[in-house]
Amino acid sequence: MEKSVGQFLGRTGIRIPLILWTIAVLYPIFWMFLGSFKSNAEIYRNPWGWPEVFNFNNFSQAWSNYNIDTSVFNSLFVTVIGAVLTLVLAIPTAYAIERINFRGSKVLFTIYISAMMIPMVLGWIPLFFLLSKLNLLDSIIGLSIVYAVSQLPFSIFVLTSFMSTVPKSLEEAAAIDGMSPYGILFKVITPLTMSGIITVSIMNCIQFWNEYFMALIFLQTKENYTLALAIDYISNEAQYTNAWGTLFASLVIAILPVIILYIIFQRRIAKGMTEGAIKG
Amino acid sequence: MVQTKKQKHLFLAFCLLPTFILFAVFTLYPLFSGLYYSFFDWSGSSSKKEFIGFANYVQLFKDSVIPDTIIHDYFLVVTKVIGIMILAIFFAVALTQLKIKEAPFYRIVFFFPNIMSVVVIGILWTFIFNPNLGLVNSGLEVLGLESLAKPWLGDEKWALPSIMVPAIWAGIGLFMLMLMGGIANISKSYYEAARIDGASEWQQFWKITLPLVWPQIKVSILYIVITTLNGSFILVQVMTGGGPNNATHVMGSYLYQQAFKQYNFGYGATIGVMILVLSLVTVLLLQFLMRREKVEY
Repeated sequence: MEKSVGQFLGRTGIRIPLILWTIAVLYPIFWMFLGSFKSNAEIYRNPWGWPEVFNFNNFSQAWSNYNIDTSVFNSLFVTVIGAVLTLVLAIPTAYAIERINFRGSKVLFTIYISAMMIPMVLGWIPLFFLLSKLNLLDSIIGLSIVYAVSQLPFSIFVLTSFMSTVPKSLEEAAAIDGMSPYGILFKVITPLTMSGIITVSIMNCIQFWNEYFMALIFLQTKENYTLALAIDYISNEAQYTNAWGTLFASLVIAILPVIILYIIFQRRIAKGMTEGAIKG
Repeated sequence: MVQTKKQKHLFLAFCLLPTFILFAVFTLYPLFSGLYYSFFDWSGSSSKKEFIGFANYVQLFKDSVIPDTIIHDYFLVVTKVIGIMILAIFFAVALTQLKIKEAPFYRIVFFFPNIMSVVVIGILWTFIFNPNLGLVNSGLEVLGLESLAKPWLGDEKWALPSIMVPAIWAGIGLFMLMLMGGIANISKSYYEAARIDGASEWQQFWKITLPLVWPQIKVSILYIVITTLNGSFILVQVMTGGGPNNATHVMGSYLYQQAFKQYNFGYGATIGVMILVLSLVTVLLLQFLMRREKVEY
């Protein structure tokens, strides 16, 4: 009896830091949502309280004054094209590395994997001039290609591990039925690794939607800004215009799709990220 | 499989070549030509690219900002490793060992900052540190501690520690999950045996949990070090741009400033080489220091 009382107190005590950290994580995010509904005057008067009225002015301001609509489109473009391109490039390579015996397959895999550990910032200077030569600088198509290639190592890594779980007998049976290796890859392996493909794609989409620094270097004109750059721009402007409400609204626009994806795919995202990190 | 050698090679080429060519063009070539550029004085226009040997490297050693950027990077590495590991281990143990009913809720909440955009995190925290409106100073005011309020990100002494806070805030979840995975793999029988022998929960933590999740701890530390050295400049760029008065510049943000703001592309590439060398040396050194016999009972 005595022990259970002590245990009960212990469990309650342990909850205090857990609850404090929950507040530390949720409150800033919550606060950002509240701020997006407040007028600037109200943000000054009452920066961290509840808004007096919920108005959507900030959102329409962001939409009309800062061309957030263009940026949302650009971000969607690089996210979707980048994610699709990553799959097109990564699936065949992952399959070949995992299932076909050829000389150098280990070396090739190692090259891809070690790229995950190398600081890419050194490569960004030459990449800037390469894109400029190819007429892909300041272009969302160019950025999509760069994004796709940057996520190849991670995607190949995760996809090979998913493909290794597909029984070999299925491929052999399909080959005996006269299916070509192309058919096996696209009609047998691809559908059977759909779970891995979805995991990789969600991770890549979040990555591309959130990405900031490569966009900062490789995009230059406002019409091509992704959401991350547009927000950064609004934030810098807000130092002078004090348009904090608009800033909060644009932050909300940027984070909402991520929250929705997280609510739907919470387990998959957590698993995908921890697996990607454990590769070392 | 009924397949000629030629067909097999064709299929292999189909699978591997397009991907590898793009990877070579957009990842391998830029990395190697970055090394090459570091030997040139180059402001971007192709006509004025001049080979200057090791002059950029000599400048690197003379540049008084460079040592500060290195110190700032390693300050972030050390504080992040300590802060994240302590909190992540604590939360991982609390959520797995202590049978808390609402543990899944905490797990879901704590992980979320890991998938937030660095821009959103940076701007949100810039506002939290805002001298007039921010949560930190308003909070201090409410507590009657106005004297401690300061323009956090504008203060040369406090700007870097202020950047460290969101870096830890955003990092905990992932490592907590990695450690929880490790703890889940520990056989329950060890704990039962320990309880029978009268070991306290605290002793169980030191003698069973910690040694057995050492592989996960090691991977986590390495991962924090790599991602900090290769990516801390993004948060710095968003929150302070390296200021005030270079007080928060890390190697990556200084590279960005030199190359893309002042158009010293050759010198920028030299800084990039330094980042590459330092992060490889650090990782190898850590792997050497943390090698430890795998514990098995």
